Amino acid sequence: MTDFTVPVQIVPFAGGTAWLVEDHSLPIVALAWSWAGGAALDPAGQEGATAQGAALLTEGAGPLAAVAFADALRDEAITLGFGVGRDQFEGSMRTLSDALPAAIRLANLAMTQPRFDAEAVERVRARALAAERRALETPAGLARRSYMAAAFPGHPAGRPSAGTAESLARLTVAEMRAALGRQMRRDGLLVTAAGAIKPEALARAAEQLFTGLPAGAPALPPALPGFTNFGQRVVPMVAPQSAVVFGQDGLLNTDPAWEAAQVMLRVLGGGGFASRLMQAVREQRGLAYGISAGLDLMFRRGMLLGSVATENARVAETLAVLRAEWARMAESGPTEAELADAVAYLTGALPLQFADSRRIADGLLTLRQNDRTPEWLNGRSARLAALKREDLAAVAKRLLRPEQLSVVIAGQPVGL
Amino acid sequence: MPKLTRRTALSAAALLPLAAQAQAPAAAPQAERGLFGAKTWKLANGLTVVLAESHRAPVVAHYLFYGAGGAEDPVGKSGTAHFLEHMMFKGSRNVAPGAFSLTIAREGGQDNAFTSRDVTAYYQHVEASRLPLVMRLEADRFAHPLLGAETLESERQVILEERRQRTDANPRGKFWEALEAAFWGRQHWAGRPIIGWEDEIRAITREDLVEFHARRYAPENATLVVAGAVTEAELRKLADEFYAPVAPRARLPRNRAAAPALQGMARFEMPDAAVREASLTRRLKAPGLLGPDSQHGYPLEVLAHLLGTGPGSRLNRALVQTGLATMAGAGYSGDVPSFTNFTFAATARQGVAPARLEAALDAEVSKLLADGVTEDEVKRSVRQLTAGAVLALDGIGAAPRLLGDALACGLGLDTVEFWPRHIRGVTAPQVMAAAQAVLGRNAVGITGWQVPA
Repeated sequence: MTDFTVPVQIVPFAGGTAWLVEDHSLPIVALAWSWAGGAALDPAGQEGATAQGAALLTEGAGPLAAVAFADALRDEAITLGFGVGRDQFEGSMRTLSDALPAAIRLANLAMTQPRFDAEAVERVRARALAAERRALETPAGLARRSYMAAAFPGHPAGRPSAGTAESLARLTVAEMRAALGRQMRRDGLLVTAAGAIKPEALARAAEQLFTGLPAGAPALPPALPGFTNFGQRVVPMVAPQSAVVFGQDGLLNTDPAWEAAQVMLRVLGGGGFASRLMQAVREQRGLAYGISAGLDLMFRRGMLLGSVATENARVAETLAVLRAEWARMAESGPTEAELADAVAYLTGALPLQFADSRRIADGLLTLRQNDRTPEWLNGRSARLAALKREDLAAVAKRLLRPEQLSVVIAGQPVGL
Repeated sequence: MPKLTRRTALSAAALLPLAAQAQAPAAAPQAERGLFGAKTWKLANGLTVVLAESHRAPVVAHYLFYGAGGAEDPVGKSGTAHFLEHMMFKGSRNVAPGAFSLTIAREGGQDNAFTSRDVTAYYQHVEASRLPLVMRLEADRFAHPLLGAETLESERQVILEERRQRTDANPRGKFWEALEAAFWGRQHWAGRPIIGWEDEIRAITREDLVEFHARRYAPENATLVVAGAVTEAELRKLADEFYAPVAPRARLPRNRAAAPALQGMARFEMPDAAVREASLTRRLKAPGLLGPDSQHGYPLEVLAHLLGTGPGSRLNRALVQTGLATMAGAGYSGDVPSFTNFTFAATARQGVAPARLEAALDAEVSKLLADGVTEDEVKRSVRQLTAGAVLALDGIGAAPRLLGDALACGLGLDTVEFWPRHIRGVTAPQVMAAAQAVLGRNAVGITGWQVPA
């Protein structure tokens, strides 16, 4: 049990609040910010519009063409990037303290005056098309893509956030600009920071960072439909090893049993060697290099998703072991010892998550995206320690549906 | 796990920004603090200890490096170093098989290991008060691993699945493996896969692992690096308690066969039905920071940046911004015990013939060799390489990886601690001398193309 707490300050600025973990031991500042939306706001047929727009923000802005903009960042060792997820649009930067004013100026320029020079647009498009094609070169990439499409047909969650080969090929600059206009607004912003910056300076920096964006908040992304239980699908691909993605519906991040579910899933399929799946699949049977399962959070709902890769001839055995472990947990939940170990890990690991400024800013941002408070963070160890075996058994019984496990296998599995 | 190089960790970095240092780069080195302020000492059994103290967060990183990697695998038994890495998690005299990682997890820690061509390393990141625990566990398997026969066969299956995942079911992985073999030969230490050829993984015996451990995991061949919230006095005490009892053993020196007497540029092409993009990888034999021609090491880092790192680089301008390639870059790291590669990589845009892209790359290299580089270009690259060195102190993983890797390869602490100064000292004539040596008319290398079948 650790008494580790994170001193989060809430810093108001014109347009919102920023969470700050202040630390002056090194002259480094990290900032992260986001709006709800992301790829979910792309109209049908314009998949990838927001992602392409985001990629072009750092390809030239204001008076600086692409190379000049990149050199202005790199000369000062500033990292600045924008990313588009299924339901979030994020920006982040890390800089030495001395270069903070330049970093803020360049980030604001990127968000308010992106150039969309023709050369950059076509270059970024070509890069995205290549990445899109390359993502399907391996069984793992193909399985992931197929899985989301099958679980959420007709909803943005089922589409690749970066776009498809078809949509990327025909996206126009007007569509990309419109996507950014929908997304980057003065309101609906979440901001976090870590490192060598005082609250007053952060408030000023945040104001400068978002000056000039249009008023109002982005539209809310469409609600997530129910998870489609699609059973078992094989996507044929010539390869000696099959990639398997498996999962089922989960629970809302507001569910009172959210943390009980996290701990139960750590026991079932969390990272590292400790989980039942890793023990059963890798340690006892040598079936795979790794297997994991856990909550994949999207649209404020955690889906139960996992993956494994095994030789084609052993897919059937691996799936049988997986289903048996899923059923065993549903029936009886974890043991007292497993509960204690999982809680010890999750509480003991907290200090490691707050040892690097970018990771702190990103971690705080994830909390904010899920409507958590600093009190929620600092009360987490005590809440986890208070969980009882029965709580975990109950949530396991409620959530885990071995018969509804939906599975995609990419490769040449035999004996299914 | 990919190997962390100085370029990835320190790029955009400088020494701690003390104004006096910046203004007087020629000041006495002994007065200057290195990047991580690392201290080092040796135990009586030969183990090197390095401390990079930092109290930024209440955590420590504990790394044990051995100066032996896949290149030290016995002939016909490629994959031995990596197999041993896996088996080191299968118990030791006082730790049951599998208990190592479970114990670390129970303490909220992260643990893993990696094998490169040159080193094998084991590490844990934990809250600072757990340092004695991880030292006790690591020292136990250092001295007395079980390498039990009853766990060997199932772990062999795990490794074969790892190989399928990384290589056999991954077109890029297959290509890079085949390219190295085509360049150096399937049985040369530089041409064998670190994970091992499949038939050789199947042939490795328990005796091979015991032998590798006995001869390569000697204290004198190991470097312990601890970074984070621990003082020198505490670490000295803990190292004496846990690591000093590990018995000294004779160290087997690295057995690096010389490069085959290759001449000129070879070609390699691998069509693959799963591949959708044609891409080029060119490797050129290059010196490292040790051994013959090591004076070219730091200039080659600057050359790789100037030619192929970032939007302002020559290759990006000539190949990517002109619409021939979706990416183009150059890479080099001299942190190796012997020779290494200077690498070019490029992916053709759809509709661009591979030959056209390659001709454009060749034209850039010819132009460089004929016309040279300007002082301004070198200054720009030096600045971008070193501007953010201090960022490597943000987090606890970079210091032990960089320091441990350098020392385990036989390099001095200064290659990491004063890397920004080494890079700042590079001049345009040095860059050109390095370019002529590696890319010039006596270049030895291979150009590989992976193309859609």
